[in-house]
Amino acid sequence: MSDATTSSAAAKTPKVRFSPQRVWTMAMATVTQLIRMKILAFLVLFCLLAVGAGFAFSVINPEQQLSLLKSVTLGALQIFSIVIGVVSTALLLPKDLEDRTLYTILSKPVPRFDYLLGKLIGVLMLIGGGLIVMDAVLSLILWMRQSLLFDEAVEHLRMEKMDSTEAVTQVREIVAKQGLTWNLHWAVWAIFLKATVVTTVALLLSSIASSTLFTIVIAFCVTIIGHGEALIREFFFTPNLSGMTGRAAALLLAAICPDLAQFDIVDSVVNGEIVPWAAVLNMTSIAAIYMTVCLFITHLVFAEKEL
Amino acid sequence: MPDTPAVSVNHLTKVFKGTLVKGAFRAVQDLSLTVKAGEVYGLIGPNGSGKSTTMKVILGLLKPTEGDTSIFGVPSSEVASRSDVGFLPENPYFYKHLNGRETLHFYGSLCGMRGAKLKERASEMLALTGLEDAATRRVGGYSKGMLQRLGLAQALIHEPRLLVLDEPTAGVDPAGSRKIRDLIIEFRSRGITVLVTSHLLEQMQEVCDRVGIMAHGRMVREGRLEDLIAVENQTEMVIENASPALLAQIDALVKAAGGDTRLLRSGHPRTTLERLFLEATNEAKKS
Repeated sequence: MSDATTSSAAAKTPKVRFSPQRVWTMAMATVTQLIRMKILAFLVLFCLLAVGAGFAFSVINPEQQLSLLKSVTLGALQIFSIVIGVVSTALLLPKDLEDRTLYTILSKPVPRFDYLLGKLIGVLMLIGGGLIVMDAVLSLILWMRQSLLFDEAVEHLRMEKMDSTEAVTQVREIVAKQGLTWNLHWAVWAIFLKATVVTTVALLLSSIASSTLFTIVIAFCVTIIGHGEALIREFFFTPNLSGMTGRAAALLLAAICPDLAQFDIVDSVVNGEIVPWAAVLNMTSIAAIYMTVCLFITHLVFAEKEL
Repeated sequence: MPDTPAVSVNHLTKVFKGTLVKGAFRAVQDLSLTVKAGEVYGLIGPNGSGKSTTMKVILGLLKPTEGDTSIFGVPSSEVASRSDVGFLPENPYFYKHLNGRETLHFYGSLCGMRGAKLKERASEMLALTGLEDAATRRVGGYSKGMLQRLGLAQALIHEPRLLVLDEPTAGVDPAGSRKIRDLIIEFRSRGITVLVTSHLLEQMQEVCDRVGIMAHGRMVREGRLEDLIAVENQTEMVIENASPALLAQIDALVKAAGGDTRLLRSGHPRTTLERLFLEATNEAKKS
């Protein structure tokens, strides 16, 4: 066949461009797959257990009770959103390749980027959905617990004959500070952002590695290192601590691993501190940058991958 | 573009990079072939001869080391080349959590199909491949033959002009295998081009217009099936109800002709084991 025929046919065939509909199809298939693998049910069950555990410890005052409930539940959400993000992503890509499902998908007019993005969005939709459900449940429980604890505290003051208006107002303020506020939702949003970054890193690793175990192990290593970026920076900027090799290694680690401590606002929320809008915006921007960079590198790797 | 071939492979070479332990592996070496629009082309060869690698390069799943491939004139490196292709890999698996109909809807959606058109086409494909009764069953519970037929249905969902089938009858029982061959013949009658690989040469002989034989990554024979399998210096006659006397006369005539003319063999033609199996199992089904 002549080059002229090829080029004329290529010119007449419309280009296949990025399609949000196609990405949505992939994402929905991924969500359905994960839901039918009972992953969401597992997340919800675990977090409900965590909420239960939040009530189980003996505590001194209402403030402590509410703080403990938030601490245990948000901690559980944080761990499990990361675990689900890493494990799901590490499993899905190699499984599609092993089962040859990837062949049937990519032999259709499906750009590889659409496939990757669809898979990522699917996993994030599952994590996001789970977090929304848990946020709603936690908000409800916190609100109920807050009302109950306030009534109990006022009753206690009344019995002690200390129920002055100032004392009641003070109790109300303490309980309200530790109770249901917008800060709780921001904490859940920060957990989602952190899971998003870790999941995107897992997707990148998954596109490079052929082993699921390797992806999972390295993704968790990156997560752990990512939480200690401040230490790495300190190590790098303190000349007396190590030689050139150590500093180069620290620089490399800091460059490779995303700074996950940027999303650590859970402790502040548990302590009843107010999270400013600027901090939320900052976190969201950082997550968007990490995600874009990781996804771009993943696309470059996956586009060249021999299947 | 009536003259544009369905598939064009020009001087294709594919070398898989080696590792520290193993050296590089040359899977395909300077392969050229052309599949004309509307024909059934069989690519045959032993395991490791490079058939599947060639198919993957044609489908853009692998990049060629040298040479190029195109589908209906569009280079395989472009995603658009897959707009007119349906692919059935060897022993396909689909998302086990979906049922047959959902699987077809999924693949149809990936090809940009939507709404009533997609539903109608999925039903049509389920009927064509005989999977209507299993349409609402999870794919995880499908037999190998059903998976293979579902694979054909997904390959056809977007009405491609070219079907690429990698060992379509592998692991399928004779009845299922016959069904797939009948479908291939039907595709040809509908004007769909088929590029198929198989180890089962007898089956290929039934459906292919042209074949290419590959060995060690190279094309060793290629051409029209009838031309390739004809034994030029022999003639076959099949006579019904011939008496022993007539056969003796024929034998005498051949001997009388002299020269190199010889009667090599005579006897009752035999059916194939496959045909016998299909007849026997159909009789059992009827009774």
